[in-house]
Amino acid sequence: MNAEQREAIARRAVERSRADQTEVRVSFSDESLTRFTHGISNQNVAADDVTISIRAIVNGRTGVAISNDPGDTAVDALLAQALDMASFAPSDPLVPVLPAGGPTRAPAGCYVEATAACDPAARAAIADAILTRAEREQYWCAGYVSTSSAGTTIANSSGALASFDGTDAQVNVKATAPDSTGFAEHYTVDVRELDGSEAGARAADLARASAHPRVVEPGQWTVILEPPAFGELLTYLLAHFSAQNFSDGSSFCSDGLDRSYFDEHLTMGDDYSHPLAPSMPFDYEGQPKSKVALVDAGVVRNIVTDSYYAKKLGRPDTGHALPAPNAYGPQPLNVVVAPGTQSTQDLIANTKRGLLISRFWYIRTVDQKRAIVTGMTRDGTFLIENGKIAGGVRNMRFNQSIVEALGAVEFSNAQKRTGQYYSLVVPAAKLERFTFTSTTDF
Amino acid sequence: MEFEALGRRALDTASARGAHYADVRFENVRSERIEVRNGVVASLADGQSRGYGIRALVDGAWGFAASSDLTDAGLDRTAARAVAIARASAAIARERFGEVPPRAYVDRYETPLVRDPRTIPLGERVALLLQAEKLVHAGERIAVGRAWLDLWRTEKFFYSTIGSAIEQTIVQTGSGVQAMAVGDGDVQTRTFPGDIGLYKSGGWEIVEEAALTQNAQRIGEEATALLGAPQCPSGSFDIILGGSQVSLQIHESCGHPAELDRVMGWEANFSGTSFLEVSQLDKLRYGSPVVTIVVDNTLPSGMATCGYDDEGTKSGTSDIVRDGVLRGYEMSNDTARAIGRTSNACVRAQSWEFVPMIRMCNLNLLPGDLPFDGLFDGVRDGIYMEGNRSWSIDDRRLNFQFGCQIGWEIKNGKRGRMLKNPTYAGVTPQFWNGCDAIADLASWNAWGTPNCGKGEPMQSGRTTQAASPARFRQVSVGVGYQ
Repeated sequence: MNAEQREAIARRAVERSRADQTEVRVSFSDESLTRFTHGISNQNVAADDVTISIRAIVNGRTGVAISNDPGDTAVDALLAQALDMASFAPSDPLVPVLPAGGPTRAPAGCYVEATAACDPAARAAIADAILTRAEREQYWCAGYVSTSSAGTTIANSSGALASFDGTDAQVNVKATAPDSTGFAEHYTVDVRELDGSEAGARAADLARASAHPRVVEPGQWTVILEPPAFGELLTYLLAHFSAQNFSDGSSFCSDGLDRSYFDEHLTMGDDYSHPLAPSMPFDYEGQPKSKVALVDAGVVRNIVTDSYYAKKLGRPDTGHALPAPNAYGPQPLNVVVAPGTQSTQDLIANTKRGLLISRFWYIRTVDQKRAIVTGMTRDGTFLIENGKIAGGVRNMRFNQSIVEALGAVEFSNAQKRTGQYYSLVVPAAKLERFTFTSTTDF
Repeated sequence: MEFEALGRRALDTASARGAHYADVRFENVRSERIEVRNGVVASLADGQSRGYGIRALVDGAWGFAASSDLTDAGLDRTAARAVAIARASAAIARERFGEVPPRAYVDRYETPLVRDPRTIPLGERVALLLQAEKLVHAGERIAVGRAWLDLWRTEKFFYSTIGSAIEQTIVQTGSGVQAMAVGDGDVQTRTFPGDIGLYKSGGWEIVEEAALTQNAQRIGEEATALLGAPQCPSGSFDIILGGSQVSLQIHESCGHPAELDRVMGWEANFSGTSFLEVSQLDKLRYGSPVVTIVVDNTLPSGMATCGYDDEGTKSGTSDIVRDGVLRGYEMSNDTARAIGRTSNACVRAQSWEFVPMIRMCNLNLLPGDLPFDGLFDGVRDGIYMEGNRSWSIDDRRLNFQFGCQIGWEIKNGKRGRMLKNPTYAGVTPQFWNGCDAIADLASWNAWGTPNCGKGEPMQSGRTTQAASPARFRQVSVGVGYQ
């Protein structure tokens, strides 16, 4: 379903609505994924769908009705349903006037026809190249190749009308050697950039390099986190920059903005237009997204808002609303961390004793206010001694406040896109103090 | 059946395109979410989604395609897409793995309901949550109160080329309340019932069982009290875990590692693998002799209870751990055949647009013979913990760490003062071998989880781990705050 078709549905619904305020979201997605393990494709799937979501507001009362039937009759019924539901909610004085929108421009290169049109044979060919590379090493591997296209249109009774179409392509592979593992990932908008053989080789190289892992003692270590590991860790800090968490008092920075919480090397923002991860230029209320400086040289400068929290806190609407209904508040979904000046190799060379970590697994929040998280290393962890990689180490569990860890940090000079569910553009990070609490026998 | 003719068309098209076997699953899903947050209805949403997914088997390889386009052209296009995908799978397969399911069924199943949630007026549903959430605000330090309700009604119509025609209506219901207290640079949260609310298959009776308004104020008071409670100590202690926490412990340390697809490496790049290797079957002492864990997809009120799984296999019961020894896995047709067994109907898809895969279903720890209070006898110096707050386990499901919302010290068999931030950690078989007592049927509950993640594309599964409180000896406590 193209933008013109989506806009026709959305416009018609807004025009026919009897609510005080109406917001209509029409989305289309076509997603395919070829998953493989050992010598087979264990999940090879494709699905297309449409979503029509209507938010009706009457006297400060809000109802949301959602369906996947785009027909006129069904959309009319959905309008009536949303209106009916709204009558059961108590009036909320903070319900805002819906954003009027404004001009937006999709970042260059966010939609690639080759990705949208990619067929199962092409995905299988990339998977086959990975399997072939693993077979050469006599390792086994598991992973996926995915391609997707998606479009979103938002229209509302304040006059907002915005549409966006984008594509996405990913490869992810884990190579398993007798006593070690390695992995590789690649996120892009253009499937033609995915190189199965190269990804397979990177995963295999990591598995080979981390073979015969030794045990190192838990405790406080200097760590260098490759972008996938740093991105995974950072994901658990992002909600702290939501106006909702800030307002609730559960964010580490709820006590105040414009304060230095981090090392001066940390500069971080939300930017939908970064060339490595071009994204939707408006939020799910149709508000144009602002580029938000979250952290500037260690000082927390801003939080992200939507129309509700902009009104509640008296701050500008930064355009970070999630789809209605949203009990999670606005969120920064396109986070970019500024690079440093040294290469990752330089960061390693300047480390007397530390750990190089490829990837984390199963991070969860232990303490909300202090942003303490626990998690495991995975798929390639290395000992650094006297500025050199001294071999693989067995996996370890950490318990660490992310805020405290970012109190002494340096970054590499090369950013990469990472994050399967969040769009992150981050460099490698060297954290001076990082606490491990236990080890494993693998 | 509503979708019979559409199903026949999809299967005929898949067969004509070269599928050796095909099945199609139509679903009509209705989901309602109401959430009250600080006196405001933050979510009042009703969703309806209708579509179908087609599985096709070509040369021993599977393909899956799904669409919401129910026109003849849409059915033909999607069936052809499933076959093309299966053909691509076959082109790169190093071995032939998929086979035709062994048996067809023609049947119907419906979740038994005491009170159909649709008969409860929407205004009444909203009013209950507003009342419960208001009670959560037991003091000035409650920064956030929440109360929520989830209702799901799924109609499934499954047809296959070997003659299956299965119609099912599954109703699942959940609700809960939560208090978040903020003060003195700290945040403390309490949830009721359990960690995430009470989720079961069934109707409005599940909401009534949750008893939200009867417990909301206590939850608010406990959250406030936790702000001033002493920190849980670190060290090696005997611990007693509340039923919902035992449920999550089963989920993470037995349910996921016993998924046979994970054991076979199918989840390696994402969810990981498993220490429960096939070579350990009937040998590994997973836990102490008091530990018996079974799959029971017929369990009344289990979130995964249904007549047939999404491969069309009839629900039943089977052992995973019996008297402490590993005896089985959660299986699909193909994976079961690979180890010389038959499927125990553990295949589910999140909804029509997702491929069916092995999921943790109802996986239950059978109750012991001690009353709950009896667990405390014989604990000289220990901690009682309730309500999960954090959970993490390595990608072979061995090294774990959990945090709970609240704890109490145990001194000489008696529950003492409240403790905040309790955490504990361990290694799965050692931990379960340290389980020496499980509370009896009187405190056994079918704790449901509505959002278990697995697979790529990620699927959210609904599962139950029925459990009662249990006692574990000499566990490492307090690691999260060392």
